[in-house]
Amino acid sequence: MNFDYTDEQEAFRREIREWYEENLPDGWIDGERDLPDDEDEREQFLREWQRKLHEGGWAAIHWPEEYGGRDASLMQQLIYQQEKARVNPPPERSEIGVDLVGPAIEGFGTEEQKERYLPKILSGEELWCIGYSEPDVGSDLASLQCKAVDEGDHFRINGQKIWTTHAHKADWCYMFTRTDNSGPKHHGITALIVDMDQEGVTTDRIRQITDEREFNQVYFDDATTPKENVLNEVDEGWEVAMRQLSFERISLSQSLDLERRFDELVEFCKNETRGGTPLVEDPHVREKLAEFDTRIQAAKLTYFRNVSKQMNGDLGAEASFGKLYDSEIAADLHRFRVKLGGPKAALWGDDSPNGAAKDSLANISIRIGGGTSDIQRNIIGERVLGLPKGDQE
Amino acid sequence: MDFTLSDEQTQMQESVRDYLESEGGIELARRQMDGEDVVGEVWDGLAEMDYPALSVPLEYGGLGDDLLYLSLLFEEAGRVALPGPLPETLGFTVPLLAELGTDEQKGQFLPAIADGDLRASVALYDDATESLPEAIRMEAEPTDDGYRLDGTKTLVPYAESVDRVVVPARTRQDTGYGGITLFFVDPAAAEAEQLDTLDKTRPLYELTFDGVEVSGARLGPVDGGGDALERAIDRLNVSMCAMLVGGADEAVDRSVEYGKQREQFDKPIGQFQAVKHRIADMWLDTEAARSLTYYAAWAIANDEEDARRAVSAATAYCTEHCGELFEDDIFNHGATGYTWDHDGHIFLKQAKTWANLLGSPTEHRRRIADIRL
Ligand SMILES: Cc1cc2nc3c(=O)[nH]c(=O)nc-3n(C[C@H](O)[C@H](O)[C@H](O)COP(=O)(O)OP(=O)(O)OC[C@H]3O[C@@H](n4cnc5c(N)ncnc54)[C@H](O)[C@@H]3O)c2cc1C
Ligand SMILES: Cc1cc2nc3c(=O)[nH]c(=O)nc-3n(C[C@H](O)[C@H](O)[C@H](O)COP(=O)(O)OP(=O)(O)OC[C@H]3O[C@@H](n4cnc5c(N)ncnc54)[C@H](O)[C@@H]3O)c2cc1C
Repeated sequence: MNFDYTDEQEAFRREIREWYEENLPDGWIDGERDLPDDEDEREQFLREWQRKLHEGGWAAIHWPEEYGGRDASLMQQLIYQQEKARVNPPPERSEIGVDLVGPAIEGFGTEEQKERYLPKILSGEELWCIGYSEPDVGSDLASLQCKAVDEGDHFRINGQKIWTTHAHKADWCYMFTRTDNSGPKHHGITALIVDMDQEGVTTDRIRQITDEREFNQVYFDDATTPKENVLNEVDEGWEVAMRQLSFERISLSQSLDLERRFDELVEFCKNETRGGTPLVEDPHVREKLAEFDTRIQAAKLTYFRNVSKQMNGDLGAEASFGKLYDSEIAADLHRFRVKLGGPKAALWGDDSPNGAAKDSLANISIRIGGGTSDIQRNIIGERVLGLPKGDQE
Repeated sequence: MDFTLSDEQTQMQESVRDYLESEGGIELARRQMDGEDVVGEVWDGLAEMDYPALSVPLEYGGLGDDLLYLSLLFEEAGRVALPGPLPETLGFTVPLLAELGTDEQKGQFLPAIADGDLRASVALYDDATESLPEAIRMEAEPTDDGYRLDGTKTLVPYAESVDRVVVPARTRQDTGYGGITLFFVDPAAAEAEQLDTLDKTRPLYELTFDGVEVSGARLGPVDGGGDALERAIDRLNVSMCAMLVGGADEAVDRSVEYGKQREQFDKPIGQFQAVKHRIADMWLDTEAARSLTYYAAWAIANDEEDARRAVSAATAYCTEHCGELFEDDIFNHGATGYTWDHDGHIFLKQAKTWANLLGSPTEHRRRIADIRL
């Protein structure tokens, strides 16, 4: 056990740090610059940032070099994430593609598919969305109904997806469809790549509790996709979906980000006064902050432990730890931020103290998306600990 | 950076586990609870396996391993709630002797500990209502060839089964860790009274020193033992955390086994999500507690800047969360869990005891806040 970084690792860290310093949008590091409010401007801003990331070679360091990545080791990924958490760069426009779709295509796709799709994910030229969920299907993914019928050289797709993040601006949908209803429900699911820009696909944006409209309903009415757009074998999409979920849980580990949020909260408590005394001097606040510090350390250290295990070739189901543990801490941290806001916490937007109101809402989605906290507990109980499976399976 | 145990460490841990199981596992704790004193027997066995030598420096006949390595031993000891002053002797006393002892003291005591011929404990509290270091009040008067100790120490673990105790006393009027001098004395010189305790695997005593003259017993500088004492208490805390983590791991295993086996409403209870999710949360807390403990042990062993904060984080987390976790284990076992025969209460009572012994979770969080904010 050793927490020191090698010279080589420190050099890598410096390289990232310097690149960010040179390339982050002006004023970003000092917090003087935020995402544009106007949607089109924001899109433009994010597109530009993605282009820069790509040119710098930082768009997907964990991808193989031949597809535009850096073949980064897990340790390098960790260092990259640490540096990212430190500067809190603009969100990556291609995040869904890079973190979720790319690895699936890389793991299950044909050579042609890899060459066709991966480079444009990296450059941000093509945006992706993911179609798992349906109105009656969320946690119970295997009961999905959206139908794809084999019509010789293509599939014809009919049905509906929902909660599809970025569907309204996506070029491609990586989706799961029902191709066979006769067997057990895990069988007969097919993973397809579908062009969003066609007559049979309509999207309808849904307003979220944060007042944003990032996710959508998506209707497929006789939409089609050629046979070569099947990922893995026909009827064998379940395997893809299961692998997918493990990518998602790793990428959702947010303990490094929590550390930065904690530091921001400490700053807030130093600057805000109540009755003339800084919040940070209040004994209750101090104890709560120390408790968060401890939980965040536990999250971070366990994350390091899991990464170390993986580096040594041990790919345990422990990845479930982070998704569940971190999002519970984040939820508590945001609740506490709102409490500390005082009466001003009644305000929204930039007037909300420390942006707490909106963040505390956004955090709820982390406990839902990518498998709810309940589902994570099932996974831990059943796959990590070997408890008997529930009735549903 | 690599946060994994080496093969050697893993092997050591497995061999300790096998050994303790072969010696009766938790039955040793039960015999101690029933009033038998098994400490001598436990210690002789441990000595045969060379375990007491683990943290003793090489030049004094030990194996020279650090606190992290030692924590792995404690973790296994905790899995069976092993009776005996293991944290006190190996986690607390050995490093303190190595740091403060004169050549003569080291030569006298360290090889004896390594050989299993000497066990030690700590007499920290003068007052069972106040926490450390304020509770340290005993005064030591200089005499012609040593010091005279007057006063009562309480909550002293295993006082009648050890050969020496570390006794901190004030040689200068001061607060906190100021003005403290440490003594390494034979508890037989004091009058010992066993206290009625919550955790009966680890007996606690009141030791009355009635003008006891000690010579050659001073450990370290006059008036200046406080810093070393604070660090030693930190190591003791980490040692206890490691024992709690071992117990917690065991509790998760027990709940899982029972969850698979016990049927109600025609199903194994582990199939009910109320039970399954509770066990998943127990596992989550165990992993978190383990990460904090390993890191604290590593940070101490490597003199890291954030060692104190890491110790307090581990202590606050382990005592609080493992305590709840042991209650959940009992709950998962229904009324069976509520019986003396079921082992759950043994772990719970330890956790409840330790939760206040070396600083309550609140006090540790205060310490973290003072460092961090
Ligand atoms: C912001 C956001 C973005 C999203 N983006 C996408 C996207 O891009 N693409 C996409 O396909 N989906 C997306 N989702 C959908 C997300 O994957 C689902 O919401 C999630 O899987 C839960 O499904 P559900 O909403 O149907 O809830 P349900 O499955 O109906 O669950 C309702 C409640 O029941 C509980 N529950 C359900 N089953 C069990 C069980 N077996 N045991 C215990 N409790 C259970 C759940 O924990 C939850 O509390 C997004 C969701 C959010 C919030
Ligand atoms: C101090 C004490 C005094 C008692 N006195 C009496 C008495 O005088 N007379 C008498 O008849 N009984 C008595 N009992 C027994 C008591 O009623 C039972 O212990 C209780 O009903 C639980 O049953 P069990 O112990 O078999 O646990 P189990 O039913 O085996 O439960 C084990 C665990 O599984 C959980 N579990 C079980 N089923 C489900 C489910 N469907 N969904 C979710 N979780 C579930 C439980 O919550 C528990 O955590 C006493 C118990 C105690 C502790």
